[in-house]
Amino acid sequence: MNWKALFGSSPLPSPAYIKSYEKSLVRKIAKSKPLSELEFLVVDTETTGLDTKKDQVLSYGAVQVINNRIRVSTSREFYLKPKIRNREAIKVHGLVQERPFVSRELLIRSFLEDAAQKILVGHHLGFDLAMLERAGRSLGLRKIKNPGLDTYDLAVRLDRGRYYDPRTIPSREYSLDRLCERYGISLDDRHTAAGDAFLTAQLLIKLLKVAAAKGIRSYGELMV
Amino acid sequence: MANVIVNRIIDFLKNYPPFSFLSEELLGQVAREVDLLYFETDELLFQKGEPAKSYFFVVKEGAIKLTEQVAEKEETVEFCDEGDVFGVLALLGKRPYILNARANEPSLVIAVPVGIFETILKENSQVSLYFASGFAAGQVVVRSSLSQTQKVRALFGTRRNENGLMLFSGQRTIRYSDPVIHCPLGATVAEAVAEMARAKVGSILVVDGNQHPRGIITDKDLRNRLIAPGLPYDTPVDRIMSHPVITAKTDLEFSQVYLTMIKHRLHHLVFTEDGSPDSALQGIISDHDILLSQGNSPAVLIKALQESDDVHELAKLRNQAEEMLRYYLENELAIDFIAGILTEINDTIIRKAIEMAKKRLEPRFPELQELEFSFLVLGSEGRGEQLLRTDLDNALVYQDVSENRREQTENFMQLLARDVMEVLFSCGFHSCPAEMMATNPRWCQPLSQWKRYFSQWIREPDPQSLMMASIFFDFRSAGGKQALADALTQHVYDEIDQGNVFLNFLAKNALLNPPPLGFFRNFMIEKSGKHAEKFDIKLRAMMPLADAARVLVLSHRVVGINNTFKRYEKLAELEPNQATLFRDAGKAYEIFMRIRALEGLASESSGRFIQPNSLGKLQRQLLKNAFFPIDEIQKILRVRFQLDYFGS
Repeated sequence: MNWKALFGSSPLPSPAYIKSYEKSLVRKIAKSKPLSELEFLVVDTETTGLDTKKDQVLSYGAVQVINNRIRVSTSREFYLKPKIRNREAIKVHGLVQERPFVSRELLIRSFLEDAAQKILVGHHLGFDLAMLERAGRSLGLRKIKNPGLDTYDLAVRLDRGRYYDPRTIPSREYSLDRLCERYGISLDDRHTAAGDAFLTAQLLIKLLKVAAAKGIRSYGELMV
Repeated sequence: MANVIVNRIIDFLKNYPPFSFLSEELLGQVAREVDLLYFETDELLFQKGEPAKSYFFVVKEGAIKLTEQVAEKEETVEFCDEGDVFGVLALLGKRPYILNARANEPSLVIAVPVGIFETILKENSQVSLYFASGFAAGQVVVRSSLSQTQKVRALFGTRRNENGLMLFSGQRTIRYSDPVIHCPLGATVAEAVAEMARAKVGSILVVDGNQHPRGIITDKDLRNRLIAPGLPYDTPVDRIMSHPVITAKTDLEFSQVYLTMIKHRLHHLVFTEDGSPDSALQGIISDHDILLSQGNSPAVLIKALQESDDVHELAKLRNQAEEMLRYYLENELAIDFIAGILTEINDTIIRKAIEMAKKRLEPRFPELQELEFSFLVLGSEGRGEQLLRTDLDNALVYQDVSENRREQTENFMQLLARDVMEVLFSCGFHSCPAEMMATNPRWCQPLSQWKRYFSQWIREPDPQSLMMASIFFDFRSAGGKQALADALTQHVYDEIDQGNVFLNFLAKNALLNPPPLGFFRNFMIEKSGKHAEKFDIKLRAMMPLADAARVLVLSHRVVGINNTFKRYEKLAELEPNQATLFRDAGKAYEIFMRIRALEGLASESSGRFIQPNSLGKLQRQLLKNAFFPIDEIQKILRVRFQLDYFGS
């Protein structure tokens, strides 16, 4: 008998989808893989706040970009029922009408299944991943270990080159709104998770073309 | 449930054909399956000869140019901007691409998988027609597709008035006859009939001493109640009249009048001062008048024109014909039918005007009543395809007379021309700025002089002559002696047979206006909106086709077919191996006529100048497709009349 498991001093066994996600991480993407053949999962979350320790995910949106194409058929949009109704967040995100809510498990499972073998992309990706890790923790998710590409960083890098002093960057110039404006992407459905994921995906396919023009041709060169 | 990304795609696609024809559910299915691609300026989407991909494209943002390699140079064939569909060979026949597609500017493009659309193509007739008619960009306009194109128009066309009856829409005025032909109670039938005959009417009211209507006698009553039973003509009207009469007040709305008549199965409705039979008679309306005021019965209109002796009445009827035209165009009736009706109406007015003029001039020229003449209509009216009341082009030809009667005859013909034109002007036609009218003494001449004119134009085909040819060669007798016009036609052919070089000049002249294939391209490049360029549909699209048809028909020695579209029909018959092209040219011409007439009605102008950005996407494509036969036809002229070797 596994006493440790019984009394909760060691984590519960992870469900199969988490195991298979963790297994998928073993295979690395070849550094030489050309840019046009890469597979991305663009994600965005809307949350009750900015504190990754206390706040919760309200909604999740994602869409895949494969071979430079945004695949609308892979688009996802999920809403979680918030435990504490945070009025402020609801005001910002406009989540006023009732949504068909899904369970946290379904959301995390869908995310992990989609994420297998993908480069994760987001604008300020770290925040979204931290929120998703928090949402998945009680389900047995430990760490999201996919390679990640932050469109904020990529946009800055394409302007400033690889080596820049982050303190000199006027970060407001690189907000999702400003970048969309600059790259001619109309700001539809802003502040919904799926809407922002879609904007980020459009930004990604445009940035990838800029990157290619600047001589970034492979996965290895993109991720340095 | 569709998420916001799918909804974003749906919101975009639903604005553009063929997606606009899909049900919400189907569109949702399609939108869920698409991909979005981004291309930088000059990036290639696909290349000519490349096997078709498994999806076709819609421009979401930016512009894609479809290009062709012409002698080392990449030439743009077509521009696709927001909402344009291209690369559809993937869907249709899966043949390799026939053009290159290159981004003209940074562009976001939607790729629609062929798989899902194949089912739709089979099941949705509007969508299949859309593709079958070559509406998508870069689709080779299949020649035989223009007739499809017309069907599409009918399918997509917006109809103002679905049931097509103008009966109760906007019809307010009632035209009733006043004064009313009437006779007193106690009068004999003979007296009543004499009155009817004098006034040329089919009914007479019987009134009492207070002028209150007591009964009515119609032609039918005479037949059934007098002649059939064999009563004498001195029978009092009281015995055979129908009574009581149904009366109404004159302030009734048209629709009420009409309904009252239908309800009582009346042929006549009598108006009195207070609407009751016990007040004084004011007027009468017949079911014939009702039909007339409906305006959309050409037979009734033409009959009314024939019966009228009053210029104002003619003008009023001609205005009604315009309403009828609008109705026909909006309901997509066949153009040859519409043109036929309008031509008949115009010809009737001309004949009526001649009749009136002759009657007026009779006392002054009693000895010229037997003089033979023919009123020739020229240009588009000569071709029987004038839908709007644009400029008048006409002429008078009369029989040659002996020298001693020459001056008097000239005098008579010019006065007649003047009178006829007066009537036409009153009926809303415009005067020709170049004075190509019968009132111009130069164009009011005896047959021998006309023969000299034509001989000169044919023998000395300088630019002036060719300009005259393009107007005068489509002459047609609209009134008077047909034989004079026929003699002139015979003379033209005799002359052409003697010197064939004339047709080469005429053919060369027909190439003066190249097809406006690049027009929409230029329009699209300058989509900034400040570009107020208008498109001259007459000069750039209709004249090239009409000119080509004329020279081809002349080269075949065809007599008596003046309509451009009928000429192409005839040419298709005569040259079976070019039949599809000729039929398409005819169809294209009909499309131009329709667009021009609608534009003219909408802007109360000649409709000649079309503002491209006022056209919908479908109409623009329709117009664009219709340009293609012009180019092909001009190629034929170039080869057939060896114009590349033909000096000017």
